[in-house]
Amino acid sequence: MHAVDGLSLSVGRKEVVGIVGESGSGKSVSMYSMLGLLREANVSVTGSVKFEGRELLGLADREMRVLRGRDIGMIFQDPMTALTPVYKVGWQIAEQIRAHQDVTKAQARQRAIELLGEVGIPEPHRRVDQFPHEFSGGMRQRVVIAMALSCNPKLLIADEPTTALDVTTQAQILELMGKLQDTYDSSIVLITHDMGVISEIADRVVVMYAGRPAEIGDRRAVIRTPQHPYTWGLLGAVPRVETKRSRLATIPGTPVSPLNVPTGCAFAPRCEHRFEKCDERPTLRGDGHLDACWLTIEQKVHLRAGAVETGGHA
Amino acid sequence: MSDEVLLRATNVVKEFSLRSPGLRQRATMRAVADVSFEVRRGETFGIVGESGCGKSTLARCLVQLMTPTSGSVTFNDVELTTLSRRKLRPYRRQMQLVFQDPYASLNPRRRVGDIVAEPMRVNKTGSESEIRARVLELFELVGLDTASIQRYPHEFSGGQRQRIGIARSLSLNPSLVVADEPVSALDVSVQAQVLNLMADLQERLGLTYLFIAHDLGVVRHVSDRVAVMYLGEIVELANADDLYAAPFHPYTEALLSVAPELDDGTQAPRERIVISGDVPAPFNRPSGCTFRTRCPFATDHCAQVAPPLVELTPGRFVACHYPRNRSTTSI
Repeated sequence: MHAVDGLSLSVGRKEVVGIVGESGSGKSVSMYSMLGLLREANVSVTGSVKFEGRELLGLADREMRVLRGRDIGMIFQDPMTALTPVYKVGWQIAEQIRAHQDVTKAQARQRAIELLGEVGIPEPHRRVDQFPHEFSGGMRQRVVIAMALSCNPKLLIADEPTTALDVTTQAQILELMGKLQDTYDSSIVLITHDMGVISEIADRVVVMYAGRPAEIGDRRAVIRTPQHPYTWGLLGAVPRVETKRSRLATIPGTPVSPLNVPTGCAFAPRCEHRFEKCDERPTLRGDGHLDACWLTIEQKVHLRAGAVETGGHA
Repeated sequence: MSDEVLLRATNVVKEFSLRSPGLRQRATMRAVADVSFEVRRGETFGIVGESGCGKSTLARCLVQLMTPTSGSVTFNDVELTTLSRRKLRPYRRQMQLVFQDPYASLNPRRRVGDIVAEPMRVNKTGSESEIRARVLELFELVGLDTASIQRYPHEFSGGQRQRIGIARSLSLNPSLVVADEPVSALDVSVQAQVLNLMADLQERLGLTYLFIAHDLGVVRHVSDRVAVMYLGEIVELANADDLYAAPFHPYTEALLSVAPELDDGTQAPRERIVISGDVPAPFNRPSGCTFRTRCPFATDHCAQVAPPLVELTPGRFVACHYPRNRSTTSI
């Protein structure tokens, strides 16, 4: 089974790249495999992953451990599972600092308090000695972010950081991530299923389907002029707050199982616009704004108008 | 949609007694605090709110899966809260639920055909062959393959399972379907399919929906009228178009301003109102207006006097001393 198949991606300094896709599209697996977090015997990762010019695939565990947590921070979806329930949050943050920096316990604790303050937790002096269960969901996610930021990582990988949160809390966290990115000049890879979240924060978007990149481009270009029929479907299916449409565009069928991805275009079985050429696997093509679809540019312009605007504005 | 009221809630309160963290003695938690509204026949009434605002508890109180602590719930002008279990039965048939989690709400050890037939067997609506015919009809209605009735829930995807849950809810020809977060566990492409299906069914069968969700876009898309809940109370209730165009309550305004939108660079930048802090714990409700602890416009008055839900303009209700977006006249 190919969970991720042929993903090539570069993240610039200070850039926010959003990876969007539905469940099973390989968005999380792609990032985990880059960081060497997939260790099961039946996993094989091929290709090349370079961080500041240094090859990560095949790097010794010891060296990888130094990078992970220090240069590359990670935020997971569920803040309750990312924190251990039996230790105080301050201890958990301090532990990470002490693993990577030569500081005393007292210094690490002091830094933990500062970090809690930076991510907007009120009364950090008191909260540092509390357990994760004493925090609300949004506050826990702030603790996880504080932990990821503890060593000023150059790259932050956030896997559905706001999916478990309410919309007002999500807004707080997204604002916080934007602010921290400004302060620390870090790059962010944001994994999400929510096009809206992508639109809020990402500079560049990667749309994934069945483990393969379907479209890559500047955020605004992807939202304004999506090139791949799957992206049209994704955008058309989102119920909007600003306008009411009589019907939502749908993509027929369900996301393909990674166990039997078609040999040609992975999206072809669900695509209204497929033709003979689609039996052959398309490669990413384009100039800056790339997509993996065999339709010609003229066809795309014509078909997109009908697909994305289904129902029109009521 | 008609003006005929199908379901009416009046001053519904639901309290739970519990031991809260940090408190020695038992505390009373007000999950639903004095909620009144009516659902009209044929409409979709949306309830939107964040986790813990009491929207699911309210739904359970309405369909009598929980008895409200006080208040009245009428269905077709019949008071439900005082009925015995036996007398309630015919009304239960008319009010059916669709649940959030299509994995937890279907018994994994039963065939899906039996799951859909179960309500009819319990209510003895007909002979076994009539019930079987009805199951096939329902499968067709919700767009499932009728050949799959012998299969088990695990053989279906999330979207298909939600269709099975919808088929089950329709088996007794209810007039009201209460859908509690029916699409929030689904991928966006599948979510759109289920929302379209629900719209089709409403049109074909003349259903009334009470639609509960946290997703503002989803609620906007399906609802004729919307109630916004905060900490167990309805803070605003209005026609969906009016509410989304110009919210009166500061909480609604903040919610809408931070709902992620697709920005392609052509829209004017919106002013986002990021409210600080968390929702207070429901066993420790603020005095006066419950939203005042997070409200950017709160005054001393808000701490002392709880604003009642009043009809500010025809059909638009808001519980706020200082409503927003009221450019025409001052209050």
